[in-house]
Amino acid sequence: MDLISLYPTWYEPAVGSGWVVALIATFHVLASHTSVGAALLFAYLSHKAYREDRDDLLDFVKKYGLFLLVFTYVAGSITGPGIWYSTTVASPNGIGALIHSFVWKWATEWVFFVIEVVGVYMIVYLVGRVDKKTHMKISVIFGIASLATMVIIVGILSFMMVPGKEIWFEEGGYLNGFYGTNTFIQTGMRMAFMFTMTAVVGGIVVAGIKDVAFKKEMARKLGWLGIISTLIGAAMLQWYLTSVPDQALLVMENRLPDYFVPSIVAVLAGTLAYFIITMLQPKTLVAGFAGFMTITILVAGLWPEETARESMRKPWVAGQYVYSNQVIGRDVPGMDIKSQLPTIEKVGILKAHPFTPDELKEVNDSNLIQTGEYIAMVYCSNCHSPSETGIRPLHRYFPDGVTQARMEKYVKGALTTGNIAYMPKMPMLDSEVKALSAFLVMNNEGGQPAVVAAIKQEVDARNRALAEKQAQDKVASLTLPQEVK
Amino acid sequence: MDASQVSQVTEMMYALRNPAGVPTYPIIFIGLGVLTFALHILFVQLMLGTSAITLYGAFNSNPYWRRLGAAMLEISKVSVSVAIVIGVAPLLFVQVIYDPHWYTSNVLSAKWVIAFIFILILAYWAMYFYYFQNGKNADKTVTPKSRWSMIVSLALMLVVGFIMHSLTTQILHPELWKEWYMQDGVLDYSGSQLHAYNPWRFAFFISMAIPVAGGMLVTYRRFKSVREDADHDYLNWAADLGKKWIKVGSVISAALYVGWMMNLPETAGDFATSFWGYAGGIAVIFYALWAMIRLKGEARFCSYMALPMALVIGLIVAISREMLRYGILNDFFHYDFMDYKVVMDWYSTGLFFLTFAIVGGSVLAYFLTIAWKTGQTVGVYTPSAAVDKMGTVAIWIMVLWMIQFFVIGFWIWAK
Repeated sequence: MDLISLYPTWYEPAVGSGWVVALIATFHVLASHTSVGAALLFAYLSHKAYREDRDDLLDFVKKYGLFLLVFTYVAGSITGPGIWYSTTVASPNGIGALIHSFVWKWATEWVFFVIEVVGVYMIVYLVGRVDKKTHMKISVIFGIASLATMVIIVGILSFMMVPGKEIWFEEGGYLNGFYGTNTFIQTGMRMAFMFTMTAVVGGIVVAGIKDVAFKKEMARKLGWLGIISTLIGAAMLQWYLTSVPDQALLVMENRLPDYFVPSIVAVLAGTLAYFIITMLQPKTLVAGFAGFMTITILVAGLWPEETARESMRKPWVAGQYVYSNQVIGRDVPGMDIKSQLPTIEKVGILKAHPFTPDELKEVNDSNLIQTGEYIAMVYCSNCHSPSETGIRPLHRYFPDGVTQARMEKYVKGALTTGNIAYMPKMPMLDSEVKALSAFLVMNNEGGQPAVVAAIKQEVDARNRALAEKQAQDKVASLTLPQEVK
Repeated sequence: MDASQVSQVTEMMYALRNPAGVPTYPIIFIGLGVLTFALHILFVQLMLGTSAITLYGAFNSNPYWRRLGAAMLEISKVSVSVAIVIGVAPLLFVQVIYDPHWYTSNVLSAKWVIAFIFILILAYWAMYFYYFQNGKNADKTVTPKSRWSMIVSLALMLVVGFIMHSLTTQILHPELWKEWYMQDGVLDYSGSQLHAYNPWRFAFFISMAIPVAGGMLVTYRRFKSVREDADHDYLNWAADLGKKWIKVGSVISAALYVGWMMNLPETAGDFATSFWGYAGGIAVIFYALWAMIRLKGEARFCSYMALPMALVIGLIVAISREMLRYGILNDFFHYDFMDYKVVMDWYSTGLFFLTFAIVGGSVLAYFLTIAWKTGQTVGVYTPSAAVDKMGTVAIWIMVLWMIQFFVIGFWIWAK
């Protein structure tokens, strides 16, 4: 049998599984970037506290550390594996590709993660319990460990967009997949923006400082950190765009929502304005203002940036060889990976999929809509929700009254051939084209209720036919002995 | 199941393997998975046990219980973090070797997988809420505020434990995956159900929180007893309680283990009466015997051994658990993780083990020495020259690691 590595599909009709991943990932980026930036800030402040014998700086580290412990370490350490969990259910072959190439890199990151988690407790709870020199050493270790977790994960994130070096496809090897231009530029960009986030979130803690002079000092420190890092980050973002594949830029120009560029520009300008205002007038730095800026960065900055990065990879989801619909669409000789497209072209997607129920392996009149829905779930639902809402709903792409013949022509001409640049090639047998088209037409005209009703009719009809056949068999088995007699 | 059905299931599992293969011998991932699972579950049990003590202390008017509850909250808080961070490792390794099983199980219960993340965050925040409500009380014997939040925290922790238990159990039933996916002729894309569970197995792992928390209490007394301000009556009371919990808890857990073994799926064959079937249960009951013999009286050395012993016992149970999985998937379904395609990568394999041993070893040795000494010191702790040197060495090792990361990276990039 010709089976390929496809898993069952999880379909989330309200927002789409892709957005569930994006929501968790966006929150994690805020938590993790803030934490890493803060860890390096703590190393600096703790060193300064030791050199100048200052308790107020350590007190600030303790308060900011406790704030981070509750809001970013708890949520961040859970949403980190949470990204694994969400991608596992939304894109198992995407995360599988990363895990199987970079398991040791993740394991290495885990060592630093353990150090980081133990370290944050020590940073917070040992202020005043150990001498300043020891606290400084713990802070420096904590800072380097945090940075190590980031530089490791950025290499893996870069691979999602494009393997480090083109030669990886031919020769394989972890180093060729991990290190590349995109890796280094992205590392620089993320490091810059992590300090921006640290400076903004730190404002919430600075807002609570009672001593006016100290508040002014910390507002200025965070302000300068924020301004410099925002400017460097903005420049790095432009540079980063030169390191992505041309295909990604094409998708960016054509597929990203209109609000993307204005939103990013507005949030960068707003962030700079925020830092300038709070530096000039530290009394304006209240928890509400800093909290508002944090939410703004999360919603207007990180959300568009993370969703853009996700969209730009299309039609791939990992390493330019795993399609967003989980099919392996390219040979990778270096890893002895074969494209799965020839197998699907030979036997069809229904027979190639290990989880296709026996009743749906052949398209016929008694399962036309159900097989069509199944194919749509396998091939389309990761990027296009077959529901009213959700991620890029399918019904928005077809005009009212589209006919079966027109739909079949589109499916065969555009999808099975891979003629749409940012969509995977989706091979189908003629019968599968017919089934998918029938489903798409019905979904377009009557929506989910019509599809559900049609599938129910098909299932009922199949059950009736099965019951009749069983009854006939039973009659045959009862009559046979009599005939034998 | 007939041979043809088994063969179809086997073929499906092999088809689902990731074609990228694995970067070193599969047995290494299994070994690391078992070891890190044992550590993870120890901290899960520690967290549950100390949370239960905190809760009981909160509702008990006995001042010793109140103090113990407040002290164990500190352990519980840190244990959640450690359980999460260590839990990442077995989660990673199971995806490498048993990806067909783990991914299928997860997708079929996707909503619960997503819920797991949010419920765990809520559980942890509820614990912190309780801590912030009461942590600053100088008098630890007063009635704590917001006790509901600790109840919520513990209840939600048990829920996430059950989700994880169910996902792990579903791995063992590849013969049912397609039935779960298509129910009554209709495909279920929602992932809204948890399809399999074994109450005995779940209860066994949860019940181990009793002896593990007992081991913590014995260690707690020993650790605090050297402080100048130690209250020996209170600490001895806590240690006696701990010894009782180890003994009684181990017996309860062993009974539940027997229940688990008696309720294995048919596909497990005669695992319950095999060597590893017996070994897990005997190890658990051995903990009670060890406590009876080695924790008599002061037990100055063995008090510190109570938790390492719990880890050893947990490790034996973890091996039994892994052998059960192997027995079902290999012996019955003929899926052998050992024949996973290996695409050897010596550099990343070596880098991990060196980082683990040298970076992890040096830093954690320094961190734990500082934490240990500080916990036993009244006032500000200033390390000795040797301990201070450990810190300097750890920093240099970290710096060297970062340098090698970028030097290798730029060299590869420039090639």
